[in-house]
Formats: sequence, C-alpha cells, structure tokens
Amino acid sequence: MNKQLSIRMITMFLSALSAIVALQAQTAPPKATPAKTRSTAPVQLASLLNAPLPGKAAAQGSAQTYNPDTLYQYIDGGADLYLLYDFKALLHQDFRSGPTDLTVDIYEMSKPEDAFGIYASERSPGYKFVVFGAEGYRDKGILNFVQDRYYVKLSSSGASADPLLDQFAHLLSGRIGGVRSLPSLLGKLPRESRVLHSEQYVKKDPLGHAFLAPSYIVSYGQGKQQSKLVISVASDAQSTKARAEQLNKHFKQSGESVAAPELGEGGIRAKNSFEGRVIARTQGRYLIALFNPSENGAEILKTVAQNLP
Amino acid sequence: MKSNEWNRREFIVKPILWAGAARVIGKTDVLLASTIDKAGPILQRTLGKTGITLPVVSMGVMNADIPGLIRRSYELGIRHFDTAAVYQQGRNEEMVGTVIKELGVRDKVIVSTKQLLRNRPQNPAEAKNRFTEGVESSLKRLQMDHVDILYYHSVDSVEDAKAEGPLEALQILKKQGKTRFIGISTHNTVPVINEAIRLNVFDVALVTMNYTMAHNTDILNTIERAAKSGIGIVAMKTQAGGTVRPDPKLPKELPPYTQTALLKWVLNHDFVTTAIPGFSTYEHLEQDFSVARDLGYTGDEERFLSDKGFAAQAEFCQQCGECSQDCAKRVDVPALMRSHMYAVQYRNPGMARTMLASTPPGRGLNACSGCESCHVNCRNTVQIARKIAELKALTAASVV
Repeated sequence: MNKQLSIRMITMFLSALSAIVALQAQTAPPKATPAKTRSTAPVQLASLLNAPLPGKAAAQGSAQTYNPDTLYQYIDGGADLYLLYDFKALLHQDFRSGPTDLTVDIYEMSKPEDAFGIYASERSPGYKFVVFGAEGYRDKGILNFVQDRYYVKLSSSGASADPLLDQFAHLLSGRIGGVRSLPSLLGKLPRESRVLHSEQYVKKDPLGHAFLAPSYIVSYGQGKQQSKLVISVASDAQSTKARAEQLNKHFKQSGESVAAPELGEGGIRAKNSFEGRVIARTQGRYLIALFNPSENGAEILKTVAQNLP
Repeated sequence: MKSNEWNRREFIVKPILWAGAARVIGKTDVLLASTIDKAGPILQRTLGKTGITLPVVSMGVMNADIPGLIRRSYELGIRHFDTAAVYQQGRNEEMVGTVIKELGVRDKVIVSTKQLLRNRPQNPAEAKNRFTEGVESSLKRLQMDHVDILYYHSVDSVEDAKAEGPLEALQILKKQGKTRFIGISTHNTVPVINEAIRLNVFDVALVTMNYTMAHNTDILNTIERAAKSGIGIVAMKTQAGGTVRPDPKLPKELPPYTQTALLKWVLNHDFVTTAIPGFSTYEHLEQDFSVARDLGYTGDEERFLSDKGFAAQAEFCQQCGECSQDCAKRVDVPALMRSHMYAVQYRNPGMARTMLASTPPGRGLNACSGCESCHVNCRNTVQIARKIAELKALTAASVV
C-alpha cells in the first residue's frame, strides 16, 4: 500500500511538474534579442516611410532626400556637424493626419557611434527623455531618438500632436531594428554624480584639441563644481602617449603642467586661465582626462582606468 | 579623379598676378615678412552705419561647442560672437549665452544670432509669427533680453529676401529692442544683396566671401556696393571655399599659412568689416586671430596665393575668353565654365541656372548639343570638354 501510495505521489508530482513546465513555456516572454543583434537585411532608408502609417497620415508633397553635398540646402551651416559624423543620407517628408501636421527627418549615419554623436550634440540634459531606440527625448512638439546608425527627428503641431509623434516613433523604431543601446564604453564609466544624458561622442576637436579625437565626454557634478571626464580613444598605447605629450605641451605653453605619477601612468596636473584645472593619465590606448576635477578626481581617474577594456 | 589631397584646394585658385588680385593686393599695406612676428594693435573697423566698431577677426561659433574656446577668444581680443538657432538645435546658443554670462562681459561683446524660416509659410502673418517665436526662443537660450544683430538666416532668393512676414517681424523686433540691428545672411550674393540694397531695411549683411571669388567682379562689386550704401559687411566661409562644405576626411591639413593667406585676402578688402572664421581648436584660434594684428602677406602666403602650379591643378577658368574663338558655334564658353563652377564647386544649382540663362541666345549650353565632342582649348589648364560634358549631365538630370 505504502509503495503504491509512493508511486502515485511520485507520478502526481511528475505530472504536476510537467504541467508547470508546459505552462511556463507557453507564457514565458520571448527570448530577449541581444542588444547588439543587427537586422538580417540592410534597412532601405526610403522604405522606412512606406504605408501603412499611423493615424492614416497622408504625405504632403514628395519625400526629399539629401546627401552630403546637398544637406546644407536643408539645414545650412548646421550641415557641417552632420558631415563630421559621417552623414550618409537624409530622408525628409511632411505628413498630415487629420488636423495634425508632422515632419519626419531620418538621418542615416555611417555607424551607431556616429548617430549617437550627432544626436548627443543636439541633446540637452534638461529635455524629457523617453524610451525609444537607444535613447530619445521630447520637447515642445518634437520627439527625437537614436537607434543603430539612424538619428530620427520628428516634429508635429496641431491637435493630437503628441500621440502621433509616439505612434510614428514606435513604427520607425520597429522598422529600423538593429542596435538599441548607447556605445558600450559609456557603460564602463562611473555612474555616481554623473549628469544624466550628458554623454557625448566627439569626433573632431574635442574640447578644442584636435589631437584628442575621437573622445567620449561625460559631465559629473553640478554648476561650478561640474567636471568633464574625457576618454580619448587612440589606436594604440604609443599613440596615446603622443596625445598625452601634446596635452602636456599645450598646458605648459598656456599655463602650467607638472608630472603627477601618483595619478598613474603618464599622470599630469595642469591648468590655464581659460580651461581651468585638469588631471590626466594614460591607460593603454586611452588618455583619461578630468577637467575641473572634484576632490576625489584622482580616485575617478583610477576607477575609470581599471574599468576600461 | 582628383585625389582627396586636392579636394579642399580645388577652389583655391587665381594667380596673384591677375589684374583683379593685383588690384586688391595694391590696396594692402604689404609689410615686410619679418613684421609678422611683431604683435601690433588689433585692427578695427566700423560696421556700416551701426556705429559698432569690431576687430577684423571675430568668431563664428557654429563648429565649436567648447566654452573654453569662447573664453580664450575673448582673452585674445575677439569681441563678436556669431551663432544661430539652427546650430546644434539651439545648444550652440545656450553655450554662447552661458559663457558670456559667466564672463560678465555682455556689454563688451557683440552677439549675433540667426533665424531660419524653413518651408516659409505662404501666409505672411504665420511667417511673421513663426519667425518671432523662433527669435524669442533664441533669446531665452542665450539668456539675453536682446542680441546686437539678428539675421534673417540663409536667404537665397529674391523672393525670400523680400518676404513680408520675416521682414515685418525683423522690424518689429528691432523696434521692441530685442535686437539692436537686423541683418540678412545669404550664399546667393548678387541677387539677394542687390535686393537688400533696394529694400533699405537691413543694417548688416553676412556674405560668403573667399579667394575663389577673386575673378568674380559681380560678387565683389555687389558686396562693395552694399557697403557703400551703409550696410555693414561680415564675411563668412572665408576659408572653406564658396558654399562647399569642408571635407572632414581630408588626409592632411593645408599648412597654416594657407589659412592666414585666405583670411587676409578677404580682409584686405576694406569694405569688409570683420570675418567670422569657424575655428574649433585653440591652435586655429591663435592662427586666425594673428591676422587681426597684421594684414600684410608673408612670403609663404604670397607664394601660396600666386602658385600657378596650384592654380593649374585646380583648373580654374580665368575668364580670359580666348577659348571662344576656337568654337565654331561661338558658344560663350567662359559663361559655361562659370556655371559649372557654381554647380560643382559652390554646390549652388540656382546660381548655375542663372548663369546659363544669362548667356546670349544661341550661345549657351543648348548650342553644344549638336557637337559630339568639344575641341575648344583652354590657354591655361581648364579641361573645357570635360566640364561641358559634366554640365550637360547635370542639366539632363535636372540638377541644374
């Protein structure tokens, strides 16, 4: 009897277990797509605005495309910065949905880092940030976001403008696919006291120094205590050393600079009248500099150096 | 195909010996090369009838999201900072405003911004309101209750120049004290500046002016006429070559003396009050501002501006007209070459079309259609046949 009861209990347990597993299989969320999975097919810029479109939006006039030679016709001197970030093409189209007007500008850049770079150059930490693509924000009739190598800029006016912006952003994000995360290096930088949404990727003349390009720049702290952390990315350690020497030379010529081995490899402490104080060191192919450093600036440099790949 | 090395040089031409250039150089007090090292006083000029006196070199902030660069510019003696609402979606204005406020020098500097009216509304009232709202937003970003110069930005047609809405907005904003002076910025100099002179409402004009225009008496004379009418002249694109955008992928930079030469060439036209080069490094700032103390050419600068080999590589039409006699159909070849220059180097199809339309009947591009190939020879270095073929292709593609 006891043996039969045991077998029955085991059977019931196994049945229940099977049922639980089956139930979980049915309700489990789909396996998350890794952030860096790319679309299997290249996105055709023009196809991003094919019908169907939200709100039965009707195109007003024909779509316009701009290339690096013609972009200035649309945004005049603003085009220079886009070209610096390896701008490839712009798709521009106006729509109307009932009483609402909408303008869609989709900038295709060379790489996700470039799209992030131009997006970040126009972004203000004071905007209202939203979850589209790698990052997005809203501000008075506009919704802009960056995803993969695309920088999408939407603007709308009239009744129902905000909902239409959201609908278009959802649609375009789905069609673009690709990378939905910020550049990975930013994830290795300290989070404490970071000014949210201050991260930048600067390809030319970061902070006025051609030799620092390209650099990631992140702000920490507030107001007059705000520091700027610069991660200058070179091709190798030798190049980094050359950059460090140029930084040292610049400050020696414009102010003062002294060796600071306590900061780490290639460490310097420097200052001048127009950039203020800076501490810097090298780590492999990275030159790490902190402008207007806080009291724990040295610790920040050390932490960053330890975390960089 | 030209190598990247020559891309930026393509539009740097015209031997200094040409009459036009020689006339300009003759106006310059050319100092001995050794004097370039002496730090003389900063040269200043008055901006039209505004009464504003400015150093001849100012700062176009467009390319520089760098507070330190503005601080250093002020330290060195720059007193005019030019921005625009469209630069970095307003972030550029924010940065300029923050730094000027931090320095506490608002009353010591001249700040200009620009308002672009994209997709100009047909309704003048709507255009006026959009323009005005845009300017109010700019003032907020700049943290200022007024700017010194407010430009109607990137006006490239006569129609836009005289558009009722923006003109009314500009004049109201000036009366309200939200701007001390009003200006117009354009890449289509001749028609737009002529219209600006006729309208007699603009105090300042921001114009493209650089060495590639040395032969272009239309443009230079128009700018000079505007200056004589009392409009203050600010020069842009002094080193970028017409309206062609700089190529950021150039493998190497031209030597510094080429940049100072180009800037000096512009400023040696005394009808230009100041230039706004868009430097983005401390090195280029110092280099450009050195010109503000001495407009005399060094030996290197003179050689650069007169380099015939360089001019030959650039294939620039000198408008001598000697080629026309080779053409059986008497086509106005110099006009076609100018049209090609506007279309390809200046990336301005509108000006190219205007140029083509101005050719005498029967002597324009249409007259070339009957010839399979062109046998006209340039006495210098221009490959006329290739340029005419390119112009034909551009018109066939409706680019021009």
